[in-house]
Amino acid sequence: MAVDITLLFRASVKTVKTRNKALGVAVGGGADGSRDELFRRSPRPKSDFSSRAREVISHIGKLRDFLLEHRKDYINAYSHIMSEYGRMTDTERDQIDQDAQTFMRTCSEAIQQLRTQAHKEIHSQQVKEHRSAVLDFIEDYLKRVCKLYSEQRAIRVKRVVDKKRLSKLEPEPRTKTRASVSSEKVSRSPSQESEEKSVTEEYPEKVPAESQPELGTWGDGKGEDELSPEEIQMFEQENQRLIGEMNSLFDEVRQIEGRVVEISRLQEIFTEKVLQQEAEIDSIHQLVVGATENIKEGNEDIREAIKNNAGFRVWVLFFLVMCSFSLLFLDCGNHICAESMLVFTGPHLGVGADGSALPPAKSCAVYAKSRVCGADTGTLVFFLCTE
Amino acid sequence: MVGVKMATAAAASIRERQTVALKRMLNFNVPHVKNSTGEPVWKVLIYDRFGQDIISPLLSVKELRDMGITLHLLLHSDRDPIPDVPAVYFVMPTEENIDRMCQDLRNQLYESYYLNFISAISRSKLEDIANAALAASAVTQVAKVFDQYLNFITLEDDMFVLCNQNKELVSYRAINRPDITDTEMETVMDTIVDSLFCFFVTLGAVPIIRCSRGTAAEMVAVKLDKKLRENLRDARNSLFTGDTLGAGQFSFQRPLLVLVDRNIDLATPLHHTWTYQALVHDVLDFHLNRVNLEESSGVENSPAGARPKRKNKKSYDLTPVDKFWQKHKGSPFPEVAESVQQELESYRAQEDEVKRLKSIMGLEGEDEGAISMLSDNTAKLTSAVSSLPELLEKKRLIDLHTNVATAVLEHIKARKLDVYFEYEEKIMSKTTLDKSLLDIISDPDAGTPEDKMRLFLIYYISAQQAPSEADLEQYKKALTDAGCNLNPLQYIKQWKAFAKMASAPASYGNTTTKPMGLLSRVMNTGSQFVMEGVKNLVLKQQNLPVTRILDNLMEMKSNPETDDYRYFDPKMLRGNDSSVPRNKNPFQEAIVFVVGGGNYIEYQNLVDYIKGKQGKHILYGCSELFNATQFIKQLSQLGQK
Repeated sequence: MAVDITLLFRASVKTVKTRNKALGVAVGGGADGSRDELFRRSPRPKSDFSSRAREVISHIGKLRDFLLEHRKDYINAYSHIMSEYGRMTDTERDQIDQDAQTFMRTCSEAIQQLRTQAHKEIHSQQVKEHRSAVLDFIEDYLKRVCKLYSEQRAIRVKRVVDKKRLSKLEPEPRTKTRASVSSEKVSRSPSQESEEKSVTEEYPEKVPAESQPELGTWGDGKGEDELSPEEIQMFEQENQRLIGEMNSLFDEVRQIEGRVVEISRLQEIFTEKVLQQEAEIDSIHQLVVGATENIKEGNEDIREAIKNNAGFRVWVLFFLVMCSFSLLFLDCGNHICAESMLVFTGPHLGVGADGSALPPAKSCAVYAKSRVCGADTGTLVFFLCTE
Repeated sequence: MVGVKMATAAAASIRERQTVALKRMLNFNVPHVKNSTGEPVWKVLIYDRFGQDIISPLLSVKELRDMGITLHLLLHSDRDPIPDVPAVYFVMPTEENIDRMCQDLRNQLYESYYLNFISAISRSKLEDIANAALAASAVTQVAKVFDQYLNFITLEDDMFVLCNQNKELVSYRAINRPDITDTEMETVMDTIVDSLFCFFVTLGAVPIIRCSRGTAAEMVAVKLDKKLRENLRDARNSLFTGDTLGAGQFSFQRPLLVLVDRNIDLATPLHHTWTYQALVHDVLDFHLNRVNLEESSGVENSPAGARPKRKNKKSYDLTPVDKFWQKHKGSPFPEVAESVQQELESYRAQEDEVKRLKSIMGLEGEDEGAISMLSDNTAKLTSAVSSLPELLEKKRLIDLHTNVATAVLEHIKARKLDVYFEYEEKIMSKTTLDKSLLDIISDPDAGTPEDKMRLFLIYYISAQQAPSEADLEQYKKALTDAGCNLNPLQYIKQWKAFAKMASAPASYGNTTTKPMGLLSRVMNTGSQFVMEGVKNLVLKQQNLPVTRILDNLMEMKSNPETDDYRYFDPKMLRGNDSSVPRNKNPFQEAIVFVVGGGNYIEYQNLVDYIKGKQGKHILYGCSELFNATQFIKQLSQLGQK
């Protein structure tokens, strides 16, 4: 259990004040000692943000009050039949719908504006967080009020649908007679019938009154030419068939209606979800764009890297080739000599076979000589050998 | 009529009471009413560590948001000035907190200030704030000042601990230190009594106190009695009269407060356990209803798809909203594993249902003729859409428990906790052991050194006569070989010598667990938690010493163990020192408070005990909630000296 010690606190404030006075200590706002001064509200400029937030809230509050005020009349679709006072016509209802919708739109726009403004101004992290939370609260509030409205509206739509259904049930017995007649007087009825139908839908309550005289005229028409029993039977059968058809059609329509209502509810849920997802999709989009850009950059980098790599390889290749060439050049003398030696050793061995074999030392000497001689010694060595 | 009243009184658990009190505080101390189209208000909440610990197990961030809290900040963090917003402070009245608050007043951080103190603030500190407010000419900005009397942390509907921040101050070690001075002891006792007093103020009832003689619990009882008495004497300012929530309902049925000292039962906190909540507390980092998982190592081959191994730290809140946790926190672990599996399967079935629906919807576009199917599907779609959030929530919970249970299971497997549990149960119930203690201690595969130490301590504590010196040396050697620190043993030795003088060691319940179907150890093969090698142990009901004491005192049974317990009734005008209770009726409500630290094992045992009794309620409280690791650490610190 919490204990309120605010009074105790106030008392201790006073004690402290009197004590300070007694001690002659001048302390801040309490220096002049007047009570008003002490308990005055310190002048603090209200920040723009919070006053505007409050403004939006008061607007939403007005909308809520407005909706609640007219709720009863708005919902009550039978008001003009049942109650004498506070009646509201459909046009008035439509007006409310329109007003409420524009109001909601302006409110949400105002919130959006506040949001952008709050984000634009540079503040510390905490203030920013606080403000976005406040805006969330306001948005939530608006949503709740909107829900109030949409509930109200759903009830209204439902009532209207119910009413229509009722008014459809009413003329059913009439359709029977009308159907029987219509086959006979096709030429006359279609335009009238459609007219009637539209009338029935729009002003269901008027129909019973109107239909009376109509029946009278039909009765007259009926009296003009008699029908044979066969014809009557035929008509009756046709009648039955038509009724069955109508009934099945009607059932179907009713089913479809129910489904449509359900679908609309689903639609509402979906809309909500879609709206919720909008922000997420946006952020995902941003991310994807960022990612694409990154990938592009990455690709470019990779391409560059490949290029660099290729250049490097060319250089390496070049270097290797140069190395090998230089090796070749450095070594080429040796090679040629070796070649020449190979050239001349063969004949020299052949020469050995006929007695004048050269000793290894000599061949070495020949080799050494050939080396000294240089590149064009091949022929010379050969020449020496054959000697 | 009376029955109804009683029922409502019982329904408002301590948890609800504290939550209501907190919500009231956050709503500027006006009772909170839920209004769907109320205008939004916003405020910032400033708390210190104490306040944080109190709020965090009770209210989630989302709930705080619903209360209109835009920011919740620590008092001693860097806070930026936010003009035009009221600030709700929820802090302990300590020196440094007061200083900081004065500083806030001077700096004009917020528009108005609602000061709430966790426990009662002293007059001089109040004057300090008044002084600062005067100096800053911000007196009118201090809108409300309240003493909240909420200095305790509620963890469960029927469980609370005193504090978390300065728990070293009231720990087992602090109370049982040999070199403690009288003034230090006074501070410890005052801290405990202050929190207990807050608890009873929130509960709105004056208890009848029973405690054992010659222990720290007795000191607490005397002080608490005095404090309650002083408060009751001053009828005008009494906290227990007037508009206290449940004062009227409790006037004829007062709760019994049993103050128990930790020293009567040292084995239980060391015991290895087998129920879910206690296991989580024992082997994982479970703190203020939040469990921190280091990582889920090991191959996690979830059938739902190979999840990538996470190396990061994860924390889960185990809240009372979590139905599964609520149902299974007291169940033995194998049962929990099985239930997790079942939940997973049922969830998957539901998911399949939704998927099937999706495929039908996709198919529908092709054959238009099926009107009946369409209507059927619209209804189904509606139900699916409405059940989706529920399904997602369920999935989150299943994932949570899968991860937690997997982590626990890993520990069990790695440390052979099932073996320890079974063996310890046998030791405590003094049945014949099929394996010598030395074998387990010297087995390098079984458990950590700490587990071995725990096992040996339990053996040592519950042995009728202490093992001979030679045996003890042998054990000591084995323990040292296993890498144990022998400090705790030192302390337990002293304690045992002391306790032997005082009373015979309490005997533990003599029923034991029995391994169920040792041959069918392996759980159903499809299970994710293949419990191979882990015995499917079933807990049998047995009462721990604390539970037995409570039983005796609650039912007014005569028992040598509890007959000499002291009796305090703060409502009696003159205090008497007799241990003879005046009230001979059995109690309906009881609060067990363990001075020197409690654990989930005892809590679970009490819950199980009271389940069998109709219309009775037990609250379990402790000065500190520790698991065996922390307890061993304290013991070894005590043993060093």
